[in-house]
Amino acid sequence: MLDLTLEDIDGILVRYNVALEKEMTPDEAAEELYPKDELIYPIAKAIYEGEEDDVVDALKAAIDAGKKPIDLINDALMIGMGVVSQLYDEGIIFLPNVMMSADAMLNGIEYCKSQTTEVPAPKGKVVCHVAEGDVHDIGKNIVAALLRAAGYDVTDLGRDVPVDEVIEIVEKEKPMMLTGTALMTTTMYAFKEINDKLLEKGIKLPFACGGGAVNQDFVAQYDLGVYGEEASDAVKIADAIIASGDDIEKLREEFHKH
Amino acid sequence: MVKKYTSMAYAKADDMLFGNSKYPVKAGLGLEIGAGYTTPELNYAPRPQAGKSKDKLVKEYERITTDAMARMVQIGAPSIVLETEHVEQMSNNPDWGGAVAHAQKTIMEEYHDEYGIKCALRHTIGDIREDRDYLQLRGDKYSTFMEAFEQCAQNGADLLSVESMGGKEVFDYSILRNDTAGILFGIGVLGSMDMEMVWSDIADIAKKNGVVAAGDTDCAQANTAMFIAGGLLDKNLAHTIAIVARAISAGRSLCAYEAGATGPGKDCGYENTIIKSIAGVPIAQEGKTSTCAHSDLMGNLTMQCCDLWSNESVEYHGEFGGTTVQCWSETLAYDCAMMNTSLKLGKAKDLRDILTLSDKYRDPQGYVLAYDNAYKVGEAIAKNGDNNYLRTKAAAIECCNIVEEGINSGKLKLTRFETNALAKVKADLEALTDDADKFMSDNLTKFKQEVAVFKTENYGL
Repeated sequence: MLDLTLEDIDGILVRYNVALEKEMTPDEAAEELYPKDELIYPIAKAIYEGEEDDVVDALKAAIDAGKKPIDLINDALMIGMGVVSQLYDEGIIFLPNVMMSADAMLNGIEYCKSQTTEVPAPKGKVVCHVAEGDVHDIGKNIVAALLRAAGYDVTDLGRDVPVDEVIEIVEKEKPMMLTGTALMTTTMYAFKEINDKLLEKGIKLPFACGGGAVNQDFVAQYDLGVYGEEASDAVKIADAIIASGDDIEKLREEFHKH
Repeated sequence: MVKKYTSMAYAKADDMLFGNSKYPVKAGLGLEIGAGYTTPELNYAPRPQAGKSKDKLVKEYERITTDAMARMVQIGAPSIVLETEHVEQMSNNPDWGGAVAHAQKTIMEEYHDEYGIKCALRHTIGDIREDRDYLQLRGDKYSTFMEAFEQCAQNGADLLSVESMGGKEVFDYSILRNDTAGILFGIGVLGSMDMEMVWSDIADIAKKNGVVAAGDTDCAQANTAMFIAGGLLDKNLAHTIAIVARAISAGRSLCAYEAGATGPGKDCGYENTIIKSIAGVPIAQEGKTSTCAHSDLMGNLTMQCCDLWSNESVEYHGEFGGTTVQCWSETLAYDCAMMNTSLKLGKAKDLRDILTLSDKYRDPQGYVLAYDNAYKVGEAIAKNGDNNYLRTKAAAIECCNIVEEGINSGKLKLTRFETNALAKVKADLEALTDDADKFMSDNLTKFKQEVAVFKTENYGL
């Protein structure tokens, strides 16, 4: 077959990603971000490495040394996950690293809860679902894992969730935010029905939607809709609600990019 | 038992070309796919509100079909394939899918009778074998699933396809955790087992109704990996891992042909060049003309050996140039005219190489799917063709070797992240057993524990 010379290729494509790659390895970058406390450091490091057993071992050591299990959730596990989130946001580590860290962190939270009668205070409650008629849930699973890893209490309704069930759970759980994902155009129409039924009941909350065929124009058609282009936007939208309230217009100003 | 491929359809990679397949397929109204010319394959999605009722859906597809056929005649396109990918309402209610197929085919017949345009209708049934909590691959929905194929075949569909989901529960868990054995188990073993069952039945339905069993794609898995991997700056998944998933997917998609499908393979099966090298069947592909649906770093390369050229999917709505189906079918038709002109002029191999080279070094995915390298992956599969696990493992290792060769040549430049991910996935693969039974047993035990939604009865285990 015909072929290009090495020199020819540069004129056809530009490797911006190679040119921009950070000098530091991910491990070196993480090392700079870990807390210095000698009891907290191994917990944060084990979270970054996604090693569930090491997380529990490090938590045990910290508890034996006098740390309160309930405090370790915010002061160690969340700190470790913060390192992971920052490195992911900066493009230094990949999503699977984040997912494995999230698994390790949730394991750590369960361990902390098993060591105390105190109940940890979540940052807020979020209900997640996949649109009625749609069984594609990998996007929703990423959203739920990232939200949990960021300290939110997630009620995961699963996939192919009937509109009325979403309304019922929102009425019951009173979340700070609802998320919806869909792959296909004909299923995402369920989002508008949810929006209309919530408004009929006088319920106003940000309804973060995204996935496959979902686009900003469609989401902007209904009053509660806030479009998330990436799964990680769900956490950013939730954090924005905690920081500045749930004014949907303001959220759209921040997250509607097109 | 299905007969497995253990040799290559083509003696060498250079024999593969767009518009030409070893075993062309006659379908629909005067069309022959892979018989010396390429044909546009238009794919579309109804507007969200159209799914509210059967009548609304049928009317929507009537508009789509009329618009597309009219535009093809307006610009003088000699042939067209329309692909209706079912929305869930059509597959869950087989009479809806049948009604849509009938309405579309009626319109296509009118255009064929009046203008002589060669055309065929593909219906891609939705894999509805899931309930809310679990895959139900062999459960109650299987009969509805097959009835949907039957209804479409009886009412006008010429080509039957599906994007099947077997293995996805294990794959989804594994791809987000860089679990190489799980990716191989989900796609190469579980997915292949499901394919053999599904496609034996689809091939029987096609034969009974005198239509074509056209093939599957590992869209649910390999395209999920490609989609998560995204562009060059994205850090959601290493592209080196996405291409390993793709190489594995070729062994899975090949099962459709081993069970009786004859093609053309589905447009979003980026593994199709590998399949063509082994099975010689015609293939549909998508690339630069499917940017209306997604971005994939292989805009031109995928055209290299296509027999149908597709736009993947576009929502039906208005644009300045007409409705979306008019605009995109026109673009596809001009692409096909270019390929067909090169065939007439004896310049097709040059054009093929230009298309391939314009993307070959852009990304490890395009590098491995370039027809010369795709052929090598095909050889790895055929050499181990009798065993679904061993052939997909061989494809994955060959894929890693090809990417390494590309890096060593200096032409495929990857970030450290990508090369580290490649080293990990290759080490994982080389550490895997050569004993297929042991691999099955080990992974069944592991994933029954780790993936709550994994049900072994789905695979007859």
